[in-house]
Amino acid sequence: MTADEIRAHIDPMRHEFAESRSLVLPALKFAQTEKGHLDRDDLAAVADAVGLTSAYVESVASFYDRLYLKPTGKRIVSVCVTLSCLLRGSDELLRRIEEREGLPHGVGTTDDGELTVQEAQCLGYCDRAPCVQVDVDETMGPLSADDVERLLDDLRAGDRPERLWR
Amino acid sequence: MPIKNIVYAQREHGGDLRSLDDYLAAGGYKGLEATLGMSPDDALYQFHRSGLRGRGGAGFPMGRKAGFLPKDSAKPSYVVCNADESEPGTFKDREIMELNPFQLIEGVTIAGFAVGAARGYIYIRGEYEHQARILDEALAAARADGRLGGDIMGSGFEYDITLSRGAGAYICGEETGLLESLEGKRGQPRLKPPFPAVGGLYQSPTLINNVETLSALPPIMTHGADWYAEMGTEKSPGTKIFSVSGHVLKPGNYEIVLGDTTLRELLYDICGGFREGQDFKACWVGGSSVPVLGAEHLDTPLDYESLQEAGTFLGSAGCIVMDTSGCIVRSSLRLAHFYRHESCGKCTPCREGTMWMEKVLQRIVDGGGRMEDLDLLDAMFGRISGRVLCALADGAVAPVQSAVELFRDDFVRAIEKGAPEPEPMMEAPVG
Repeated sequence: MTADEIRAHIDPMRHEFAESRSLVLPALKFAQTEKGHLDRDDLAAVADAVGLTSAYVESVASFYDRLYLKPTGKRIVSVCVTLSCLLRGSDELLRRIEEREGLPHGVGTTDDGELTVQEAQCLGYCDRAPCVQVDVDETMGPLSADDVERLLDDLRAGDRPERLWR
Repeated sequence: MPIKNIVYAQREHGGDLRSLDDYLAAGGYKGLEATLGMSPDDALYQFHRSGLRGRGGAGFPMGRKAGFLPKDSAKPSYVVCNADESEPGTFKDREIMELNPFQLIEGVTIAGFAVGAARGYIYIRGEYEHQARILDEALAAARADGRLGGDIMGSGFEYDITLSRGAGAYICGEETGLLESLEGKRGQPRLKPPFPAVGGLYQSPTLINNVETLSALPPIMTHGADWYAEMGTEKSPGTKIFSVSGHVLKPGNYEIVLGDTTLRELLYDICGGFREGQDFKACWVGGSSVPVLGAEHLDTPLDYESLQEAGTFLGSAGCIVMDTSGCIVRSSLRLAHFYRHESCGKCTPCREGTMWMEKVLQRIVDGGGRMEDLDLLDAMFGRISGRVLCALADGAVAPVQSAVELFRDDFVRAIEKGAPEPEPMMEAPVG
């Protein structure tokens, strides 16, 4: 993504922060919506738009789980594995994904490059455990292993969203 | 033991108060109206008098915290709402924001008036984008109706709220980690002092409170501090939302008066108890960062002081419950995994300690455990706790240390034979 596109996104919120550095997270999240991850050029464009160095921007980006510095699938499926979900069967979901997609422990990017499955730490839907989130869509639950299979099929068949908010 | 709907007001009004009209019809914005009619100092006094304690986990008196902000600061002051709800087992803030967003917005506005803030920020975890969009809409509606912006409700008070989104980091729920993130940095906790009240966001005076705490302000200012303080116990006034999850039949959020309900009543009467053939085994009552409780503590009243006497903390009241089908060793490993993943890496005892805790527990679960591992764990606990900048490491140690103490036989059995793989509870009604 270009620095100008990022600037157009963050300029309207500039006045809300006493220091422009606060715009780095909104800028990174927006820059990521184009490809679903951030490459060197994106980090440089964010640095240019916010007025920081690329090295600083990368140090921030590397801290956060939902900013990706390596290519990801069309959709990211986050399976919550924290205690409430463990007690309600999250590991069953990952086992099924492992069997079906051939991903070790159920996590990684599928061979066809369509989907990335990752472990999530508590998603805050513990009353609906086990739960799963696709990108930043509303978290779903409780899901059975069969539900997850259907979900993966639907996501594969579905269109690539115009913007990849993660 | 009755369920209350004070912070959780939507439950009495058709399930959600997402539209401003519905919120107003339910008595919304009366608290702000009353606040704008008094002086900021009087408003602060009301917070103080209500006895409201911080609902994010630490339980620090909210009025005292607000009173720490200097009145003669040359820099602008800020209110920051911690909506980075990430404590395992805690999902109350999520439902407040998605079902009753205006009550939070009103609360952040009331707090802003009392401390003379230039702006409020709501920092919401990145995973809650659905809730963030609901809040975005609610903020726009409040602005359009003159309840944010210049001259709020004709009072001359000027104030607005910015919604900031996180990007996936538990540590940003730690207040100084959150401030770092809001300033566009890695969310690593700061060395204190200075405390946020003096040198918080942009080194300015900052009041930082949890969603549930700030959402309690509108009813307090509507009905008066004494009305609120009369509920609950002397040290634990008011109501608290318990998020109950795990092996109970009716998981969900339940708001109760502090001190008038026991853990047993919450789990069996309110949450429907357990499946046929299963019964209570263990409970992390205050989120995952607290010592685990066993069946001998079921009759503990749910309030700050009684839970502390029982050896644990009320914390965020994210109550995770395990029945006799669960495996305490596997559960402890899963929590150790969580803290290892979420340790920000700034303090060596936490970064290295959480990693070794997970490795040793993994070895026990995999059947390669040795009896000395229990002593090894014990030696690690003392080398992690209290040697770090923030509460994450203590939160990592507390559930594991208490589990090894309370359920030692389970750990010994796991070392001898490996940890059993329990059948998870899959088909269960959602409360």
